[in-house]
Amino acid sequence: MADSNEKGSSSLLIIILDTNPVWWGRKKASDEQFSLSHCVDCISVLANSHLMLAHKNKLAVIAAHTDNSVFLYPQYPGKKAEAVKLPDDGQYEVFGQVEGQLRAQLKKLIMQDKEQIDEMYDVPEQPSDSLIAGAMAVALCYAHRLEKECPIGEALSTRLLVIKGSEDCPSQYMNFMNAVFTSQKQNIIIDACILDKDSGLLQQACDITGGMYLKIPQLQGLLQYLMWVFLPDPSTRTKMALPPRAQVDYRAACFCHRNLIDIGYVCSVCLSIYCTFSPICSTCQTTFKILGPQKLKRKKKS
Amino acid sequence: MAAEEDDKGYRWETEYEKTWEELREDESGSLQASVDSILHRAKKRQLLERVTNVRLGMMRHLYLVIDTSSAMSDQDLKPWRLKASTKLLECFVEEYFDQNPISQLGLLFSQNKRAEKITELGGNPRRHISALQELPSRACEGEFSLQNSLDLALQHLRHMPSHASREVLIVMGSLTTCDPGDVRESIKAMSEANIRCSVIGLSAEVRVCKNLCQQTGGSYNVILDEAHFKDLLLSQVTPPPSSASTESSLIKMGFPHHSLASYKDDKEKPSMCMCHLDSQSSQGFSTSGYFCPQCKSKYCELPVECKACSLTLVSAPHLARSYHHLFPPEAYKEILTSDILIDGPICCYACHSEIVDPHVYVCDKCEQKFCLDCDLFTHETLHSCPGCASVRSLQNVQATASVN
Ligand SMILES: [Zn+2]
Ligand SMILES: [Zn+2]
Ligand SMILES: [Zn+2]
Ligand SMILES: [Zn+2]
Ligand SMILES: [Zn+2]
Ligand SMILES: [Zn+2]
Repeated sequence: MADSNEKGSSSLLIIILDTNPVWWGRKKASDEQFSLSHCVDCISVLANSHLMLAHKNKLAVIAAHTDNSVFLYPQYPGKKAEAVKLPDDGQYEVFGQVEGQLRAQLKKLIMQDKEQIDEMYDVPEQPSDSLIAGAMAVALCYAHRLEKECPIGEALSTRLLVIKGSEDCPSQYMNFMNAVFTSQKQNIIIDACILDKDSGLLQQACDITGGMYLKIPQLQGLLQYLMWVFLPDPSTRTKMALPPRAQVDYRAACFCHRNLIDIGYVCSVCLSIYCTFSPICSTCQTTFKILGPQKLKRKKKS
Repeated sequence: MAAEEDDKGYRWETEYEKTWEELREDESGSLQASVDSILHRAKKRQLLERVTNVRLGMMRHLYLVIDTSSAMSDQDLKPWRLKASTKLLECFVEEYFDQNPISQLGLLFSQNKRAEKITELGGNPRRHISALQELPSRACEGEFSLQNSLDLALQHLRHMPSHASREVLIVMGSLTTCDPGDVRESIKAMSEANIRCSVIGLSAEVRVCKNLCQQTGGSYNVILDEAHFKDLLLSQVTPPPSSASTESSLIKMGFPHHSLASYKDDKEKPSMCMCHLDSQSSQGFSTSGYFCPQCKSKYCELPVECKACSLTLVSAPHLARSYHHLFPPEAYKEILTSDILIDGPICCYACHSEIVDPHVYVCDKCEQKFCLDCDLFTHETLHSCPGCASVRSLQNVQATASVN
């Protein structure tokens, strides 16, 4: 970490926090001593430690909500800082700001949800997954801008940390993969800190971009995991003894049943995957002719 | 047949309109901001021109023909033509496999009136790139032969499956071609075999190349400078709209398991991979690798066509890498900042900054506002609208709406 300072390089950490109200609500109800508020405490400590590591380090926190992606930190530009006067207890000013801002923005987000629900007669069931891919897309644009603003000769290394409890959202597959490939292209690492069930999508994302995937065994220890596993930058990690890499399942899921398959049929026009031969592609409506003798002919070529 | 295209005039007369008339100095007397905005706008126009929702023959087989005749030692491109070309072509190869993940590429070169193969058709970018890096050490000599290049490419491409698109891209510095016979016969053969030929000229327009491209449905361009050269190459990265006669089919593919060389299961014996069988080194002899689900042959890399059972082997993310061609996000609408009525500054939804540009870009679907930088970034690189990706009701719409 010391040598990165000398070169005048800085590191941008973007934390994507899953704020799915259903999952957090359930968590609270099941009466473990673990709540969104506790999680925000942990994130604040991680964020402040990251800012403390190097003077030029930067931070962003984005909430992936059920139907929106919201910047929790930093504040929208041009807006006068909402006067959250904290007691002057000698805290470095920015540090207090991060926590105050996170709490204020989260509160706003929750109040918006509440208002919406209050306006409705019968409340529809809230989705139990969050739009992580949306928040990732926003994060990549943000990183792209900061990289462009970075003065010549200075390097900015970016990484994304996704903290997620709710389920994977299958309808986001395409957006999610687009974000993953963009990260790979831009040399941005995706780390995942999983609070509940394993996420197949994030396993692939971490493997493709070279990030850490970790399912937290004990939520009470969240802060320790954040500080030990996710605070060190990737160059430092190679020197540490970290949990071993998990084997990633790269099998394809067929579009027709979402089953994982070893051998399948792929549409040559749109690359949709099917588990059995069908005469028409349901994605792009192409009709296929049956491939019979052609295979044999191809084999003969030297 | 050839006349209809001719009234378009020469390339150097139409491209890059009089941009110097748009140049304005800013307060500090610098032209940089002005130049940047012209470049940006040109890019934006390019994006708009790209046809969306075409049927894409995404299994491409492309032979890249590189002129290494004496004309390539010219120094109008720095340090010299061949060196400059190979550098840009390296970048082209990267991009090609990025956007055409299950496609194949091969390299040919032509000098001394002959054409020779550099690399076999294949799906591994690294192999082609290292071959490209060695190419400039070769002396540029003799004459270029269009006919020999075409014949050699045809010889290899004719065996490729008919569901794939078959293409030739020629980078040509020479203004002449030295052919053993009638080059028009070879052009006809290419056209009959349904092989699309495109040429990028480094000097000036050559009639026979223009004919070749017209008759085979390819594009013909002459570069203006290095930046233009790069743009032309990158325009070849996007898959061509598949021509009517390219059959579409359902291709059987295998999705191999990757087994790691882990300490846990040492019951597994190390084995030799199929891709490194010919090489003398011990490379490829290990317990890890991808195993063909049909015949259990082992490979180091995907995608590959199994040498034993000819099953195409890919991984799911390989395919996902291409989906953005089918479902590209719609172009944003350009709106004057002064037409937007809100108190306070206008913020870009994606990059979280105030938009000071006189223009704002608005997505029709999610109605979020974006700055020009984010507009270009989302459409060129990300291929997802950050606004739409953050709205639940737009998740499936994107996939289904753009199909029809
Ligand atoms: Zn199925
Ligand atoms: Zn299809
Ligand atoms: Zn091998
Ligand atoms: Zn096989
Ligand atoms: Zn922006
Ligand atoms: Zn949108």
